[in-house]
Amino acid sequence: MSADEPNDGLVHTEDRTPYVESTIIMTTVRTVAPFILTLGLFVMFHGADSAGGGFQGGAIAGTVVLLLAFAFGIRAVRDWLNPAAVLGLVAAGVGTFLLVAVGSLPLSGEFLQYTAYPVPHASKYGIELVELGIGALVAGVIVGLFFLVAVGFDPGEPLEDEP
Amino acid sequence: MSSLLPLLVAVPIAGALLTLVVGYAADRLGWPLAFASSLLHVALTGYLVVRAYATPDPLRYTVGGFRPPFGIELVVDGFNAAVVGLVAVVAVGVLVYARRAGPHSVAFYTGYLLLVAGLSGMSITGDMFNLYVFLEITGLAAYALVATGDDGRSAVGALKYLLVGTVGASLFLAGIGYAFVATGTLNMADLATKLGEVGYGSTLVRTSFALVVVGLGVKTALYPLHTWQPDAYASAPDSVSGLISALVSTVSAYALARVIYSVYTVEFLSSVAYAREFVLVLAGVSIVAGSLLAVMQTDIKRMLAYSSVSQFGLVVAAFAIANEAAVTGGVVHLVGHAVMKGGLFLAAGAIAMRTGARTVGEFDGLGSRTPLLGAAFAVLSLSMVGVPPAVGFVGKWYIALGAIQSQLWPIAAVILLSTLLTLAYFLRLVERMYFRSGTGAAAGADSPTGTGTATVADGGDDEDPTLGRDDTPTLGRDDDDAFAADDERFGRPSVGMVAVVVVAALLAVVLGPLVSAFEPLLEPTLETLL
Repeated sequence: MSADEPNDGLVHTEDRTPYVESTIIMTTVRTVAPFILTLGLFVMFHGADSAGGGFQGGAIAGTVVLLLAFAFGIRAVRDWLNPAAVLGLVAAGVGTFLLVAVGSLPLSGEFLQYTAYPVPHASKYGIELVELGIGALVAGVIVGLFFLVAVGFDPGEPLEDEP
Repeated sequence: MSSLLPLLVAVPIAGALLTLVVGYAADRLGWPLAFASSLLHVALTGYLVVRAYATPDPLRYTVGGFRPPFGIELVVDGFNAAVVGLVAVVAVGVLVYARRAGPHSVAFYTGYLLLVAGLSGMSITGDMFNLYVFLEITGLAAYALVATGDDGRSAVGALKYLLVGTVGASLFLAGIGYAFVATGTLNMADLATKLGEVGYGSTLVRTSFALVVVGLGVKTALYPLHTWQPDAYASAPDSVSGLISALVSTVSAYALARVIYSVYTVEFLSSVAYAREFVLVLAGVSIVAGSLLAVMQTDIKRMLAYSSVSQFGLVVAAFAIANEAAVTGGVVHLVGHAVMKGGLFLAAGAIAMRTGARTVGEFDGLGSRTPLLGAAFAVLSLSMVGVPPAVGFVGKWYIALGAIQSQLWPIAAVILLSTLLTLAYFLRLVERMYFRSGTGAAAGADSPTGTGTATVADGGDDEDPTLGRDDTPTLGRDDDDAFAADDERFGRPSVGMVAVVVVAALLAVVLGPLVSAFEPLLEPTLETLL
């Protein structure tokens, strides 16, 4: 490598990613983020009876954190975000699904039988709960993956490759 | 109590969740929790397998109270009971091995249990789309596990596995789509009747068969579709190689057989032109090409990987021949190969940890340096070649018998040829281990091999003291001293690791004679399938 200094006129942070503190982007994201989160929940809640569901809704909700990272810098958002919260989101998602699935067994229902629960419209609320769980799981995984990828690799690290 | 069937999948997932959450707070609890989940899984599986063989009817379970063909059905009959049992037992064995051999991360244990959940699901589902879902769960967990190795090679291997595996799964999904368009159903039993009503000559049905076979062929790693497999096996950590080689392709091959028999039925296979020939040619080419490529390898793990390509060709050929002897042989070889190949990978890993020997040349004189591991490796190799009374012999014998009964002479010839080629690549190892002086061994011990793999072995060594102290110190600290004489630079496999390898070798021998007891158990299932 001959040229260590990048000459593209951008400010390079220690992440080697150009981050531009733009008022326009920050203001836009600040305004739009709550709406996107609402849209994500909206899509999740529509899992039971119309086109929607946890996978799509979770992806939309997860992008809120990605947008924040683009607007305010990946490092800043990563420091702000508690990794335990992301893990908790994932665990809560899987846990919800498991509880709903196994919970019907003691109520003399079958595995994942929503109608075994003594609740009106049990099927609908059961599916809704599972969709929310999936949404939390998907959002958590997307956020976690994003920061893992953003950390990147240290190019100075020797590749333990062999002939 | 067939109501326990869904727990076969739910227990490993709950275990993975628990391991992930508790392991985040306390690293050390990762292994014990994973082990406890795995033991519970074995107990559950054991109970269900006994029940499945006690009654002639398959165990059935409807998930969520939605009646099939609309709901998802779980089915355990004599055919997949063997596979489910294999998954549970091998998973526990490899976990015992992984306690010392690593990887020692919570991510590994979580991925491990998710893989077990996916494999169990693939084995017991009676629904085509559900099979696809579990195929993807299995695949994703397997890609992640391959990537747990700490050098660049495993990342590349995992990426290649991911790309090729996804193509395979997509082809399988496309095949399901074609079958769904033709019939409007996804339940396997329902598909079997409806496909017959649509007519086996229908282009949709034939296309779906081709796509499903090729898709699962990628996952099983048959010859022209195997390209992901040697890199994934060779670059993964040793425990992961053992687990994946023993289970992932095995369950995919089971899925292929299940789809051929329970969805398309044997009648389809015999009435549609080129259907059987297509599968047989794929399998036959795989047998020969896999063996030839295995002979050409110098790296032990790559050699074992190509050997799997060849052996799965044999298994798939057995399923395509589809008479009673051949299918019995196919099931026996499926289970037997898993025990033998898993054992061989684990033995190779333990030998590498002990002596640093990872290539064929470095195996010179190994028999005297690690007598027990060397003997186990030799026994497993000979069983794989097909020396009686080991299980490798019995499986191949039944398959060859089936081929001869169906008068498929080319396949019979290929099976015999493959045995010779298997002999070629395994016997040269056994010969090097016992009949050559350890010049290569001295070189291997004195000079640092300078490769990435040696560094990995050293890395494992460094982790040992902390781990041994933190976890159960009872597990063979004293006995390790017996091995201490050799080289200090390399790690010492724990008693658990050696025990798992030895048990695999013993199983390979003992399972052979037990096949005659297993055959009548399998018979009622085969009568309904064929």
